[in-house]
Amino acid sequence: MTQGQTPTVGQLKQIIRKRLRSGRLVAGLLHNMRKYWPLYAMALPGIAFLVIFKYVPLLGSVIALQDYSVFRGLQDSPWVGFKHFETLFRYPDFQRVLVNTLLLGALKTILAFPIPVMLALMINEVRHALVKKGIQTALYIPHFLSWVIVGGIVFDVFAISGLFNIVIGWFGYDPVLVMQDSRFFRAVYVITGIWRDAGWGTIVYMAAISAIDPQLYESAMMDGASKWKQMLYVTLPLLMPTILILFLLDIGNFMELGFDHVFNLLTPMTYSVGDILDTYVFRTGIQQAQYSFATAVGLFQSVIGFILVHTFNRMSRKISDGGLW
Amino acid sequence: MVFESRGEKVFRFAILIVLGLLSVIALLPLLSVISVSFSSGWVVDLNQVTIWPKAFTFDSWQYMIDRPDLWRSFFLTLITTLIGTLLALLVTAMLAYPLAKKEFMIGGILMVGVVITMVFKAPIVPYFLTVRSIGLYDNPLVLIVPHILNPFNLIIMRTFFKQFPKELEEAAFMEGSGYFRLLFSFVLPLSKAVLATLALFYGVVLWNQFQHPLFFITDTDWYPLQIKIRQFITDPNEMPFLASRQEVNYNERTLRSATVVFAIIPVILVYPFLQKYFVKGAMIGSVKG
Repeated sequence: MTQGQTPTVGQLKQIIRKRLRSGRLVAGLLHNMRKYWPLYAMALPGIAFLVIFKYVPLLGSVIALQDYSVFRGLQDSPWVGFKHFETLFRYPDFQRVLVNTLLLGALKTILAFPIPVMLALMINEVRHALVKKGIQTALYIPHFLSWVIVGGIVFDVFAISGLFNIVIGWFGYDPVLVMQDSRFFRAVYVITGIWRDAGWGTIVYMAAISAIDPQLYESAMMDGASKWKQMLYVTLPLLMPTILILFLLDIGNFMELGFDHVFNLLTPMTYSVGDILDTYVFRTGIQQAQYSFATAVGLFQSVIGFILVHTFNRMSRKISDGGLW
Repeated sequence: MVFESRGEKVFRFAILIVLGLLSVIALLPLLSVISVSFSSGWVVDLNQVTIWPKAFTFDSWQYMIDRPDLWRSFFLTLITTLIGTLLALLVTAMLAYPLAKKEFMIGGILMVGVVITMVFKAPIVPYFLTVRSIGLYDNPLVLIVPHILNPFNLIIMRTFFKQFPKELEEAAFMEGSGYFRLLFSFVLPLSKAVLATLALFYGVVLWNQFQHPLFFITDTDWYPLQIKIRQFITDPNEMPFLASRQEVNYNERTLRSATVVFAIIPVILVYPFLQKYFVKGAMIGSVKG
């Protein structure tokens, strides 16, 4: 129905019906609230949290279209359209940071992903319960250390008189300042990620393996399959759906490199390769107070992240009904 | 008894060797830091210390433990972690419970609202501005309040509540209890497993948090442990003047190592108690990807 036209009788009827239905909805809601008020009261703190910490910042993203100043506030800051997005793409800094983010994400996804699968397959072959538990404990512990601590450990191990340089010294190599050398940053990022989280990542696979019907192994053994063959032709194929789902979810999250992880490994000497979108937003937005510009960067990242997660989650849901939403 | 061929034995032995090596590699960096923290500075400088302390000394530890600001940060983090975990469980349960109830009319819309917050992540700058505008800048409450509800944990708890038998609640209603009593005296006491798992999730996040204090706390009085440790590790001004090297047994590296180990100890101490909730937790958490 366009404005200025007189509505037909049928359209009027529809409008009235809609009004009535929404009226009934409101009445029903009020009734529901009165009858079950404790449920509403309970939910209140949680709802308030979601509004303040999730929705207000989400709506606050509009400052990407402004020249936001804290003194003028959201209402009085001038609107500038897509100015910040335009400068963004022309900025060589931004291009470098974007490339760094994509490269680190790709490396992380490709190199770190298979490790937990292999570990889980191997742990599964350990029969002695105590040995198994010991191995698992050793592999899980790093997961509970914060990235500050991991950073501290890594800087110490790679120090000029640290463990790494002592060991390569035994083989006749000169000491290397690994953490201050941009050539090694990506490797350090990936390896520390594996060191901290690969053991933890095995848990899901271990659970999937324990759900496999033991009869399958029995019949495989009857057919004369060795342990190696059983692993290859029974365990691995049955693990495949889990692996595939987690892999797709991983690709979907591949822009999420972990601010803490990268920030605690960075030195001024490794900025050229280690500066990523998250650390860049922190520097420009929080430390230098270029609020609108940094919001534009963040928004760009959020949109790409959303598209990635959405696409790959859809794919994983097609494989099984184990998707996120 | 299962028959094992020679090949199988070699296969299993090889796996054991590889896993053993990997476990050692996983622990080596920890051993190295611990050794450095208990060694004298001069042996460390001579590239002598690998995974066992040399010229054993408590001096680095003595220096660190005598610093009151480190203890202040430690207790601040301990308290905020404890209060934060309890508060988080409370708020999460109080939202998850209505969401699990059919009679809660806005439940469906609310769930959509929750999922939206998981899909669309707000950029960090408007988040920063929002949190600052509600007075959490340089306020120790910023170590607690932003962490009291996690959508993933909320969904885990709601799923758990949904599996509750209806008969139990009906019996409670007959005795005249309301929803609040029902939740706190019947449902929560029967949800210990999920509460423990979520306490682990929330507790680890609160204890290890770095980004929030980095963004929101500039007042060194309110530095939590992780920020304090980072300051020790990276800020040369934090280190004592080491001109009189002959008199002390520590150097910058041994002091830093002692600080790092100091922060690891609490984690190692609670690890055995939490271990039994790991598998369950990681299983539910695997939805997190």
